[in-house]
Amino acid sequence: MSWMDLLALTPQLILVLGATTLLLGGAWFPAPRPLLAGAILVALLAALAAGTVPPPVPEISALFHATPYARFFTVLWCLLGACGLLISVRFVMDHRLPAAEYVSLILFAVTGMTLLSAASSLIGLFLGLEAFTLAFYILIACRRDCDLSAEAALKYLILGAVATGFLAFGIALVYAASGSLHIPEALQGLQSAGGMRAWGFLGWGLVLCAVGFKISLAPFHLWTADVYQGTPAPVAALLATGSKGAVIAAVVGMMMSGAPLWRDMSSLLWVLAGLTMLAGALGALPQTNIKRLLAYSSVVHMGTVLVGLLPESRAGLTATVFALVVYVLASLGCFSVLASLADQRGEPQDFADWRGMGRRYPVRCSALALLLLSLAGLPGTAGFMAKFAIFHAAIQADLIGLALLGILASLISFAFYLKLIMLFFMDEDSTSARSSGSVFEHAVLAVCTSAVLLFGFFPAPLFNLIDLLFP
Amino acid sequence: MNAMTTLPQFPWLSLLIFLPLSGALLCLLHNGRDSECRWLALTTALATFLVTIWLFVGHGQHDPQGWLLVEDRAWIERFGIRYSLAMDGISLLMVLLTGLLQVVGVLLSWPVRRQSGLFFALLLAMEAGLMGLFLAHDLVLFYLFWEIALVPMFFLIGIWGRERRRQAALKFFLYTLAGSLCMLLAIIALHLIHGEQTGHYSFLISDLLHTRLSTAQEFWLFAGFLAAFAIKSPIVPLHTWLPDAFAESPSVGSVDLTGLLIKTGIYGLIRIAFPLFPIATAAFLPILGILALVGLFHAAWSAYQQEDIKRLLAYSSISHLGLVLLGLAAWSLTAWQGSLLLIVTHGVTTGALFALVSMLHQRTGTRRLQQLGGLWGQAPCLSALFLLFALASLGLPGLANFSGEILVLLGTFKSHPVWAGFGMLGVVFAAAYMLRLVQGILWGEAQKTPGQYDPVADLTLREWLILAPLAIITVWLGLYPAPLLAPLEQPVLLLLGGLP
Repeated sequence: MSWMDLLALTPQLILVLGATTLLLGGAWFPAPRPLLAGAILVALLAALAAGTVPPPVPEISALFHATPYARFFTVLWCLLGACGLLISVRFVMDHRLPAAEYVSLILFAVTGMTLLSAASSLIGLFLGLEAFTLAFYILIACRRDCDLSAEAALKYLILGAVATGFLAFGIALVYAASGSLHIPEALQGLQSAGGMRAWGFLGWGLVLCAVGFKISLAPFHLWTADVYQGTPAPVAALLATGSKGAVIAAVVGMMMSGAPLWRDMSSLLWVLAGLTMLAGALGALPQTNIKRLLAYSSVVHMGTVLVGLLPESRAGLTATVFALVVYVLASLGCFSVLASLADQRGEPQDFADWRGMGRRYPVRCSALALLLLSLAGLPGTAGFMAKFAIFHAAIQADLIGLALLGILASLISFAFYLKLIMLFFMDEDSTSARSSGSVFEHAVLAVCTSAVLLFGFFPAPLFNLIDLLFP
Repeated sequence: MNAMTTLPQFPWLSLLIFLPLSGALLCLLHNGRDSECRWLALTTALATFLVTIWLFVGHGQHDPQGWLLVEDRAWIERFGIRYSLAMDGISLLMVLLTGLLQVVGVLLSWPVRRQSGLFFALLLAMEAGLMGLFLAHDLVLFYLFWEIALVPMFFLIGIWGRERRRQAALKFFLYTLAGSLCMLLAIIALHLIHGEQTGHYSFLISDLLHTRLSTAQEFWLFAGFLAAFAIKSPIVPLHTWLPDAFAESPSVGSVDLTGLLIKTGIYGLIRIAFPLFPIATAAFLPILGILALVGLFHAAWSAYQQEDIKRLLAYSSISHLGLVLLGLAAWSLTAWQGSLLLIVTHGVTTGALFALVSMLHQRTGTRRLQQLGGLWGQAPCLSALFLLFALASLGLPGLANFSGEILVLLGTFKSHPVWAGFGMLGVVFAAAYMLRLVQGILWGEAQKTPGQYDPVADLTLREWLILAPLAIITVWLGLYPAPLLAPLEQPVLLLLGGLP
């Protein structure tokens, strides 16, 4: 590793050094406010560094990319981390959590996400994935007095361990078959692998399983609802957006190398995408807990995003990244509403708690309704442009069947989002007063809502930016 | 006459969309201050209506492409989506009707107190959506407005509706959405096929007209569009969402549903589905004719059996729409002019009837036919107007609906005498349920429901303001519909051209 490599790693270095400093500093100065402020500053600084300091080398030690694509996601996850910390402020103070540990874990998780999105080798992929997964094992359980959190953390830990096993074994097989851990060569090497080709396929299949666990593709999605339910909203916000988004970003990165492997696996991906969209939509219908609903909604979205990968076209990849960004915005907004309503009793999760909430808190509930409708894909919101772009790419590639499945899933999705929206606008007021939220939570919500509206009517800037990322 | 040409650059069409939209935003900002919201909404609706009248009076001639006014700007260039609005005689008529009925709607909703800012904001947002829908010339823009018009209605029914409002709202939304999602797929597919053929990726209807499609492609795409329009119109087996939505919605909701929202389906057929897919259309027209007749009779029969006046009127709307669809299926200038005129007159007369029913409901607390009666003795003006609109609705010569109905039947008779015969019979059915309604409400013993009441009060000034203009329009269009028919001729001929 040369100085050039280190320079290219600046954002990650800022995150890691910042996290360590805060962790150690917290031992002497445990006051939560300065620690949270410091962490937000670190995340913003890292985003700034990633956005402004041009990397001197395109690839770092054959492990991570330093391309515009990787940098885009570095900025995105750093900003996401900053938003996550903003909506954590009240949570950390109310529950008297050890702030130093909390903020440093979030920063470590963000580091993991940035590394994963930039992975150019299977080792990089493994490192990035494990880095943020480890942080999440602890973060999910950070409320030690809550049984649901403990259950969620245990579930995530066990399934995470299984996924890690799949991933490690898969990587070993791929290496055995192709003789390389660098992703482009590993993909190309498969073609000349001869008798080892089948093992290579199995290896990629296992990697896909691990990916499936992480982004909850059906049939690997069953943990999602339970884990979300037990996870505090600020952490769940990162879990739902960053942890899945980073994996998708890594997969898109692999797709960009355009190897024939994907064509061989396309029927498998087809089935996975269709199954995931339907399983998510049908799973969401009977839910009576808003977090479980959001969990299944994320399952549907991951299925939809997968549809964007199938056409193997530039348009498809652009649409995928666009949809990913929009999903991150809308999801983050939803969880920030939840965080802003949370008080000592926890967050209002059950549908019963949401009856008439719109009468009591019209602004936040209207924003939430808008975000939910964006998740559903209502025209005029960014969610529609995302779905439009994805189905556009899918139909262009003659994936009519998948597009029809997607439409069906959209219809079912509208049903469950609308049921929730009706609950808080159309039922009589029976909720007790909730927290009025902190200014930070409101700020994050405002940013997400306005971005969703803005990109709904003027998606061009974001599309143009994403276009720049693909060489 | 053509002041328009002196100001060709002024975006009149955008004004029709953004005026109500800004009114909606203002109402939202004034949420909680009832009287300000009401006046704001009324001013906006009136201003918009005045613009539509101005366009109607001052419109010039259709240009060679068949448009009166056009606006076209780039919007999302990546997908070739344009912000493209165009108005011809048909859109002009629909826009005029929208402007009129929204003024009626605001006046009708004057007593709304609960969250009135939100209420009027939704009402105006829906107006913006409808205006956009009737003017859009780009399919994605059309789809956008199609959905934007849907959402406010969902909330209007769901928040201010009656007991079973939630189910009705959800049913209404999901039914319509199922159709529109199919349409969305068809739109994208058509766009891509056209793009591959010409290299020019566009969503403009005028561009897509020249797409070469195989028969199978054409049928599938037509089916996609038809799903959306048939559910909205509604064409008969797909109408089951409508009575619930009508019955549960607040009074203004019923007026807008009957006058405007279900007309969007017809408009979509005329403007998009028929011209884009001529071969599929030609094959579909006989089926449409039969479905129209089935709808005409089935709905009339159902209407006759209803106890709830609103449901009765809901079914009568489906029945009238059957006649409109029959006219479309006949595919001739006269029949189409009749259908389009009937769309407007039906909007006015049935809208007025729904308004009257809500006034009656406010006074008596019931909408059941059995519990009403003897109104004539207590509220003669209200009763007289009720009678007028009911007679107009059943097609009495000299009143509005008659002109439309007779044109439809004449136009149909030329090509399909049997259809016309059945259509005529359907008009008789309309007389049956309408007279039953009139008889039940106006004559007979004055009924007293529990918890009621003083003699029913007659019309207030506000109610006169709603009904009197509608009554004048009803009589005027019955006697002299020519001003509305004239601007229709050229676009209808253009749309009918080159087909069976």
